Amino acid sequence: MNVVIDGKTVEGRAGETILECALRYGISIPHLCTHPALPPFGACRICIVEVEGMRGYPTSCSTPIAEGMVIRTQTEALRLLRRNILGLMMLEHPSACLVCERRDLCDKYRPKSEKVGATTGCHTCNNKEVCEVRELSADLGLAEIMVAPNYHYKPIERSEPFIDRDLNLCILCGRCVRICKLHQGKSVIDFVHRSSQTHIGQAFGKNLHEAGCTFCGSCIDVCPTGTLSDRYAKWFGRPDRITETTCIYCDEACALAIYAVNNKPVMAKGLYDKWPVCVLGHFAIPEFLNSPQRLRTAQIRVNKVLRPVTTEEATQRCAELLKNHMGKNFAFVCDTSSTLEDRHVFKKFTQEVMQSPYYFEIVPDRKGYARFTNIPEEVKAVITTGSFVPQELRDKFEVVISLDIFPSEWTKTADVVCPVAVFAEVSGTVLDKDNQIRPLIKACNPPGEAMPEWFVVQQIAKIFSPDKWKEYQAVEEITYELGINTAKLNLDRETAPPASQNLKERREWFKGHKIEDYVSGLVAVRNFEEGQDHEEKAEVRLEVKIPENPLPFMVLSRRELVPNTYEFVIHAPAIAKKALPGQFVIVMVDENSERIPYTLSDWDERKGTITLVIQEKGLSSRKMISVNEGECLAHVVGPLGTAFEIKHYGTVAILGGCYGIGAVVRLSRALREQGNKVIMISEARSHYMTYYKKELTAVSNQFIQTTIDASSGEKGHAIDALKRLLQTGEKIDLIVAVGCPFMMMITAEETRNMGIKALCALNPIMLDGTGMCGACRISVGGETKFACVDGPFFDAHLVDWDEVRDRREAYSTEEIQAVSYTMPSTTLEGEHRHHHCSCMERG
Amino acid sequence: MNSSHSESELVFGIQELFKKHPARRSSIIPLLQEIQEHYGYVSPPAVDAMSEYLGVSASEIYGVASFYTQFKFVPPGKYVIQICQGTACHVRASSIVLEALREELKVEPGHTTSDGLFTLERVACVGCCALAPVMAINGKVYAQMTQDKVREVIKEYRQKEENKTGI
Ligand code: SF4
Ligand code: SF4
Ligand code: SF4
Ligand code: FES
Ligand code: FES
Repeated sequence: MNVVIDGKTVEGRAGETILECALRYGISIPHLCTHPALPPFGACRICIVEVEGMRGYPTSCSTPIAEGMVIRTQTEALRLLRRNILGLMMLEHPSACLVCERRDLCDKYRPKSEKVGATTGCHTCNNKEVCEVRELSADLGLAEIMVAPNYHYKPIERSEPFIDRDLNLCILCGRCVRICKLHQGKSVIDFVHRSSQTHIGQAFGKNLHEAGCTFCGSCIDVCPTGTLSDRYAKWFGRPDRITETTCIYCDEACALAIYAVNNKPVMAKGLYDKWPVCVLGHFAIPEFLNSPQRLRTAQIRVNKVLRPVTTEEATQRCAELLKNHMGKNFAFVCDTSSTLEDRHVFKKFTQEVMQSPYYFEIVPDRKGYARFTNIPEEVKAVITTGSFVPQELRDKFEVVISLDIFPSEWTKTADVVCPVAVFAEVSGTVLDKDNQIRPLIKACNPPGEAMPEWFVVQQIAKIFSPDKWKEYQAVEEITYELGINTAKLNLDRETAPPASQNLKERREWFKGHKIEDYVSGLVAVRNFEEGQDHEEKAEVRLEVKIPENPLPFMVLSRRELVPNTYEFVIHAPAIAKKALPGQFVIVMVDENSERIPYTLSDWDERKGTITLVIQEKGLSSRKMISVNEGECLAHVVGPLGTAFEIKHYGTVAILGGCYGIGAVVRLSRALREQGNKVIMISEARSHYMTYYKKELTAVSNQFIQTTIDASSGEKGHAIDALKRLLQTGEKIDLIVAVGCPFMMMITAEETRNMGIKALCALNPIMLDGTGMCGACRISVGGETKFACVDGPFFDAHLVDWDEVRDRREAYSTEEIQAVSYTMPSTTLEGEHRHHHCSCMERG
Repeated sequence: MNSSHSESELVFGIQELFKKHPARRSSIIPLLQEIQEHYGYVSPPAVDAMSEYLGVSASEIYGVASFYTQFKFVPPGKYVIQICQGTACHVRASSIVLEALREELKVEPGHTTSDGLFTLERVACVGCCALAPVMAINGKVYAQMTQDKVREVIKEYRQKEENKTGI
């Protein structure tokens, strides 16, 4: 069948759609609601094309090709239509970053997104690096949003196992609903309610588990936006390696793609669109393998205590201990979670080196539980590759050598413990339940000194019989020796694994360890199953009575100003008495939490209170925003830093962005009181992110609001409004910029040649705040400064902005992991209270 | 219309309703209507039972049901307040009366107050246009309503309830 696409004659296949045919020939047609795993739906209309002889604009994803069709995919009319369709869709999405004039610069300066609570734009979206909507909007040249977009103020759902859901980002493409139906035979989630209230949900607001979700994760895999995300994986960003391998939690042996960042597994998903994998395959691999509890160094028993040693010392000790337990005194106990290669080496070692008949391979039961009790009387020494020998039997052995992944009673009483690499950390082969051989491909690095099991055993063998043991250089040599033709191995399978349809079928044990002990989401699933944790999330905040004499550091008021930004009023008379404009405090939420610096937004000496404006970004600030009225913070230190020099400058332009809008209230007032003309410019992504308009108007001579998407006030960043002012002939004597590093950086760059002094506040990068730790070191004009004591205000034109960025991006993988665990929802996601946002003004 | 039934009663009765409709998707709306007619609202156990019978997920049924404003998901209140929106009442500013009810009860039409006492409903014409604007509570007609009168009446009902529970 011949069709013509954009003037090119191509050969179409019967039954395929225009989109499929075009994509096959490398002709790209933008599309959104359709997905290769799903049957056509035709909902978003982004994929429209022109077909000669057909009226209107058919959707290419759902129109089958026909002989002789003449199709055009790239006309100007189509581009315009598509752009408008996307524009309409973006009215219900935090879309400011898409139409931002500095989008490219922003992406360059901060390629990673920030791990916030509520996403208010791409820059704070977990999906940023892989977003289909972003790509589409760039391709279609979306540059403006026609009317002010709508933000839904839906609380972010993060108390479900594994899955975070921020419905404020949902574009209702329906991919999740359709894949759930396709993979599960029924849709656990569906569109509920109507018109502007329509959203993805479960019947009667049940939780996912009650609604029958098996946590197969398929919905996350197809969601084109940041709405549905894998809580563990979400902030790791774009993976740098994807490896196709086999899941070995059970003998279904599903094909998986393991995503790694820096050789660390961060996400896993089923390899084939047609089959879902089970909860373990999708969600339990990275968190399990990355668990901080993993054994990382070898240990040997010295005078009753286990001491860390090098791998060489440990294997040396093994050989010494085993020397006197040859023959029937020795046994090797493993289970079928070890690869065929591992087991080949174990067996060879037992029979040829130890000359013992006692090689035991246990087959775990349906739940993955494996126990070994049948130990012959004469056995006095044993090597185990997992914790499956009951502890009662420990005393039967004189020597226990434990190859394992996690500490257990068994490893704690062993004579030698060797950490081993398993699962996605190794290559080899395994048998599935139908005795088919499946390949295992190394996808990530094991922790610490851990080595593959066969390798550790070979090390022992080499010491034992250096001449007789034929050394394997690589695992492939063992595979070859086993006669396995690797070229023939495949990952494909016939049916979906039962556990992907029935949560109860899931495995619970791996190598004698309970999987849920290391995977927080599984504990949440278990709690649901046992009927715990069903307490309603507190929706209404309890009225708290603040005592006449508040305790030190008591939170007197807490409110959400705009999504993800909170205002706290804290009882701290000593600080309020001494505070000066520009100074900051350091907060410790509880004894164990990090110390976080916050600029003093305002204070009241009479009432003894201080006001802070705080954004949720990472674990510490999440803890902070979870503190309720009437509760006390562990400690607040301050005031710290060098105060802003309040004197007569003339005309001062103060530029505030994000948290900085809150941070400059007192500064502005003080400057005005000194006779300065204060022009306050507040920037926000969109109208629903603006706050403190009244407060700032009250403390300045002129107040200008800008928004990136022009939905409230002037369009653009604060610097754009400043430039416009200068063009009208306004004379500015001093510029003060307070906001995120990007905002301060562009202010610095774009005012560099104006001959106006510009100051910026560099405080969100410090630790102890007293000049001791050096965490806040920055270069200003080639000199090293400490933001905490020399700052926070520095000459913006002298700051090394690349260094500031690098320092902020240097948060560790540990921090990302820490925010990623499934936690019981302690954060009260109060309703949005319209204090300052302009959604009410719009009516 | 019986609004207080146990779960087993409901499931028992519902099987009778199911008999009238084939077990396929197209029965979702007719069945929802029957359930609403019979029980006054669509309850979670009713949807679960439907889900089992039709082999369609509860979320999907709920998705369909919540699309239409006609379906209610909470039992009707003890007092059903109907506010007439017929032409005569409309001309005589029934919308202002409705506004007062909305404020007083803090619910939208079609919804029930959280204490389960009142359900607010808009109806087409009560049939006594001479008395416009008209409000009816459980069938009892209140004539020539104003915002103040509405508040008065609601207060009376509330007081009546309080006295009852007080005893
Ligand atoms: S899903 Fe996230 S990254 Fe994509 S356009 Fe929306 S906010 Fe930006
Ligand atoms: S995780 Fe699987 S079962 Fe659960 S809602 Fe998503 S697709 Fe459906
Ligand atoms: S949650 Fe994601 S996949 Fe589902 S409708 Fe929304 S944007 Fe589409
Ligand atoms: S991709 Fe074709 S209509 Fe959405
Ligand atoms: S914060 Fe540690 S030296 Fe400044």
